[in-house]
Amino acid sequence: MEIVFQTIANGILVGALYGLVALGLGLLMGVMKFLNIAHGTFIILGGYVSFWLFNLWGIDPFVSIPVVVIVMFFIGLVLYKLAFSPLLKLPTIGMRIDTSMLVTFGLIWVLDNVMTMLWTPDTRTIITTYTGETLKVFGTRFSITGLGGLGVAVLVALILYVVLSRTYFGKHIRAATQDAEAASLCGINVNRVYLFSSGIAIALAGVAGVVIVSTYSINASGGISWLLIAFVVMILAGEGNINAIIPAGVVFGLLEAGSVLVVGVPYRQAIALLVFIVVLIFKPQGLFAKKALGI
Amino acid sequence: MNLLVLLFIFIILSQSWNLIGGYTGQINLGLAAFFGCGLLVTHFVWKAEIPIYFAVVAGGLAAVMLAVIIGLPTLRLRGAYFAIGTFALAEVCRIVVGNMFARMVKMPGSYAIDYNLIPRYYLGLIVAIITIAIVYLVTHSKVGLAMVAIRDDEQAAQVTGVNTFKYKVYALLMSSFLAGLAGGVYAFLRLSFHNITAVFSPIWTFEPLMAVVIGGAGTLSGPVIGSVFLVVLSEIFALTLGEAHLIIFGLLFILVVMYSPYGIIGSVSRIRQMMSRVGRST
Repeated sequence: MEIVFQTIANGILVGALYGLVALGLGLLMGVMKFLNIAHGTFIILGGYVSFWLFNLWGIDPFVSIPVVVIVMFFIGLVLYKLAFSPLLKLPTIGMRIDTSMLVTFGLIWVLDNVMTMLWTPDTRTIITTYTGETLKVFGTRFSITGLGGLGVAVLVALILYVVLSRTYFGKHIRAATQDAEAASLCGINVNRVYLFSSGIAIALAGVAGVVIVSTYSINASGGISWLLIAFVVMILAGEGNINAIIPAGVVFGLLEAGSVLVVGVPYRQAIALLVFIVVLIFKPQGLFAKKALGI
Repeated sequence: MNLLVLLFIFIILSQSWNLIGGYTGQINLGLAAFFGCGLLVTHFVWKAEIPIYFAVVAGGLAAVMLAVIIGLPTLRLRGAYFAIGTFALAEVCRIVVGNMFARMVKMPGSYAIDYNLIPRYYLGLIVAIITIAIVYLVTHSKVGLAMVAIRDDEQAAQVTGVNTFKYKVYALLMSSFLAGLAGGVYAFLRLSFHNITAVFSPIWTFEPLMAVVIGGAGTLSGPVIGSVFLVVLSEIFALTLGEAHLIIFGLLFILVVMYSPYGIIGSVSRIRQMMSRVGRST
């Protein structure tokens, strides 16, 4: 019985991280229909920024999150100006998705190798005084960094929810999502909305990177596996359904943790991915189908 | 010589991706799975002392089998979902194979004693020529027309009576057969694989994709030019710039995608058009 509780606890902790990983990808896809394949690579980049702050000035990773957010936000603005805004001229949404996929795919190549040159191909992690410590509640162990990640994920998701549903800027984003042309006719500066949303999306990737570097480890070419997880969670949540991303991440985390009990550690990712493909084929609109409120 | 064989493998792989991605417009990110599957089967069939030419064909057929089992379900997906689904499936294959063959996969020593690059070269050349011939024949037939119609507008193709699913299946099966052959050639070239998951790694999907797009997707000569470009330039730059040449490739790729969607081939023919227009006006 204890092992079941422990599995559930692990699943929730890792699942919250999975949700956090997918948030930026889901935002970019939901608002602008840009599929950012380099999302995983930006996560790693955020992790490295935090790694630098910790190594050079000894700043705790969870404290460094605001700095990482600002740095990554500006990277996102540059990314939008250079790579994404020319794609808005493409005639159809399908072409926009495909072309953005190819452009960001080239970006992986560039960023991966720049990061390899800057930080060497070694695997990096941040070891603080509390890394590896656990908190025991009723015989179930929670790792401190994992709990920190859960807290960050929930906090970020809440902030995003409040911004999207309670502020004017969020209203603009939702309007631009539903119909960019109509929104710009109503006096919304769609270009600016897009600019800031891609900044936010890349900043979210950075936050996920900070949590990953303090919980697990990163290396320069490790972005692809995180990208896959982000994809899976985004599809499970349903395209453009940002509020459901964290719950979808938890579902995926539980699925992965549960399959450890059934088939053992080596196949856990394979099983989770197979379940994902089955969902994709039979319920492509996602497990958390869109409701009237969602953006 | 080694480089030439690698070049042939690249040409085969990029033509394979060109069939499904360039002509049919289905962005397949799972090419590595078919490549790896063909490689593994060729390796073991060859190990059972069956001539390499049969072993390579067996590798190709095995890749087709894999496509039937795992590829057909994903063809129900459209657009970006197809890309994500095939990507996930390739990862599943990588994980499963990595768990099955945890130790080094290699040929017995007797194969290494009379190792000679010449037969590798000819096998690569033959398979590359066959590949280009297949792509030429397919794209100059009714099947090829249907594939291009699907790429340009899937719904319109369906409305005008093209059985889109059938032709997508054809494209996927042919593409995976070719990828399996490429795997076979690579198995012949390299006798031992230190870490078998490396041949299933997404690199084997991404580099051919890059070659196709840089050369010109949906053309016969584009992938060939792209492969030559990629292999030769990476060899030149590897000596002077080290890993940094990949940064240049990435930037070049982005520029091609954004400003010249038909690749090198497209820009050449566009320049030729402009030249002829200039010629006429004077």
